[in-house]
Amino acid sequence: MTAKKGISLALLVAGVAALWLVPSMGVSDSLLNLLILMFIYTMLASSWNILGGYTGQVNLGHAAFFGLGTLVARILYTGGRPLFLALLAACVVPVAFSMLIGIPAFRLRLRGDYFTIGTLALSQILYITIGNVLPKITYLPIADIQNYQLGPRYHIILASALFTIGVAYALVKSRLGLGMVAVRENEDAAESLGINAFAHKLLALAVSAFLGGLTGGAYAYYQTSYYFNYTFSPPWSLEPVTMTFIGGVGTIHGPVIGAVFFVLLKEWLVMKVGEYHLIIFGVLFLLVVLFLPGGLVEAWERIRRVFTHRPAGKIVLSPSAEGSDLSGNSLASERKEVPMI
Amino acid sequence: MRTGKAVVVITVLLIGALVVSCGPQTATPTQAPPTVAPTKAPPTAAPTQAPPAPEYIEFGASIPLTGKYGALGAMVKPGYEIAVADINAQGGVYVAEYGKKIPIRLTIYDDESDPTKAVSKLESLYAEQKVVVYLGGAASDMHAATAAVAEKNKVPYLGIAFALYSIHQQGYRYLFSPFPKSPAQARDVFEILNASIPKGERPTKVAIFQETTDWGIELGNLWKENAPKYGYEVVVYETYAPRAEDMSAMILKAKEAGAETLLTVPSPPDGITMVKQMAELGWTPKFTLMIRAPENVAWGETMGKNGDYVTIFPGWHYAVNFPGVDELNAKYQAQFGRPADLLTGPAYACVQIAAAGIEKAGTLDRDAIRDAIAAIQMMTVVGPVNFNTDGTGNVLNPLVQWQNGKQELVWPPEHATAPLAYPAVPFDQR
Repeated sequence: MTAKKGISLALLVAGVAALWLVPSMGVSDSLLNLLILMFIYTMLASSWNILGGYTGQVNLGHAAFFGLGTLVARILYTGGRPLFLALLAACVVPVAFSMLIGIPAFRLRLRGDYFTIGTLALSQILYITIGNVLPKITYLPIADIQNYQLGPRYHIILASALFTIGVAYALVKSRLGLGMVAVRENEDAAESLGINAFAHKLLALAVSAFLGGLTGGAYAYYQTSYYFNYTFSPPWSLEPVTMTFIGGVGTIHGPVIGAVFFVLLKEWLVMKVGEYHLIIFGVLFLLVVLFLPGGLVEAWERIRRVFTHRPAGKIVLSPSAEGSDLSGNSLASERKEVPMI
Repeated sequence: MRTGKAVVVITVLLIGALVVSCGPQTATPTQAPPTVAPTKAPPTAAPTQAPPAPEYIEFGASIPLTGKYGALGAMVKPGYEIAVADINAQGGVYVAEYGKKIPIRLTIYDDESDPTKAVSKLESLYAEQKVVVYLGGAASDMHAATAAVAEKNKVPYLGIAFALYSIHQQGYRYLFSPFPKSPAQARDVFEILNASIPKGERPTKVAIFQETTDWGIELGNLWKENAPKYGYEVVVYETYAPRAEDMSAMILKAKEAGAETLLTVPSPPDGITMVKQMAELGWTPKFTLMIRAPENVAWGETMGKNGDYVTIFPGWHYAVNFPGVDELNAKYQAQFGRPADLLTGPAYACVQIAAAGIEKAGTLDRDAIRDAIAAIQMMTVVGPVNFNTDGTGNVLNPLVQWQNGKQELVWPPEHATAPLAYPAVPFDQR
């Protein structure tokens, strides 16, 4: 291990430890709630990024996985099942659902805009159906509400976020991850090299659904009351896309940065301009896609380039620091190098 | 070694977020500042012994001022604001712990008729304003979401404009509602009909249009259960989703079944759609109880003559004969050019009760205030109020009817401004 790597690892451990200890520092509930939101959005964006960012299958129906996770976890948990079992089921059920849509979609080679619109439609169908079938509000059990403790929830959600980032990292560092990127860049070319595009896309979908479901499970454990169909609503599909693009699509740290940025900016803007924050985010998203397709990660690279005076030709961009459009097509006219992260 | 750099960036960002969040956070909610500067407290306690008093007693409300319940929220907000202004005009609420009167500061957020946003607003009010009392918004599905937050944060919550009874069966301790609930509404409609209309002329064939929401389901089932006990028969029981645009199928079913009474709880937009389509399809029930939608003062103007004969259980009417009502009407008249709206009185009463609770508790401790409110027995603009152990209030349940574009109080007789207009004249003959 190089000294540089050692320092990075030490910083990571220190950062995680600091985050873990936050509840015991006597901070306000307001701050804990803010951090929890960051973790949830990080999970949401990271799980979306596996299918949309690394595999190039832009899913505008991620709320379906998130919503199913909340639904299953909430029903099991309020029904008296152990939290671990509820969270596990929250992960498994969306995977099963993803296979129902993924196998026919990928078998039929549903790509690009067709896949995107299909996923959007599916999540909307679920949103309306759940609203009609389960119209009543869901509460945490009364004992949980009356003895509500933010600290344990914070730790469970932080652990879930770390697990999500860890799974994403392990996946993209593996051969499977390389295969997913190859499929994203050119599916036909990848297949001609012996990569099973169908299997890779299906795997990415399953992992994305699994982690999206886990996010939903964590949310269901955190929220005291909400309507079942709320977690299937369009913002839960669109916000992970926005966050990932703002942070840096197709990178591990992009969704994390995007989520932190998104939550802080959203909290601030909601206070300042109310619902107009949606317009601001829409404009920001367009600007990022047009002028900074690698998101904040690319912005950081550019800033670093200015200060280190490194020639542009030697800048190494991460797989999709160049970004991709909503159909998964690369936006970069010239590719430099494609390491995994 | 890009991973290492990524790790550094993430760590720094997260720690940065933490540091940033630790700083003071500003909120720009709608605030009702005290209209009169706080006056000196009566010299009942030795100032040297009392702890330093806070500048204000913080009240917080999340109200649907826009969205589908915007019309309801618009009636609730002035009730809170006028009551706070009235109390502050007297110097505020006397708090024995501090030996002085302290003015109330009311912070109001618009939740846009979105229960999730309402939950978030209440969390902000708790975290930022450190409110000691929550004042609720309007509509049962909104309260269903927010009451749990009050329970979690252990903040006394006074809510009106919701009749959902099941919230009160959750075991919540901090929820109080001086407003009629579904069981009373499900019983009273039949009792009022039987008391007002001679046997043989009663509209005994009932159609229930049940909205697929918590309250819609609850009240629909209660009506269905109660009808036979009072000699009524439910001939049509149809469900519809909120924001339904086509209600013709269920209207035609009711028409074909010869239904004479309509019982339903639509939101304001749905109520307008429903009555318009009833008029178009030529079905005029002899009696219509349509809770919620016609509470909006603009109903008469929007619906014209089609809006007449519809009755409501709004929880209050400006003509009720209780102390303080005339003064409230006068202030409302000066501000809005009409007597107080249907939900304004109950909203006013919430602030009266909260203030009385604080005064009785003698402290701003939320648990003590909660206990004081639970034990309260007082006269308000909605009449005498006390609470059952589940937080439901024992209050009057008046019936109001739209007659010639005006909301007339038709029940109870001792408060009534007009008799019940029955049967309804068919739409095409008005």
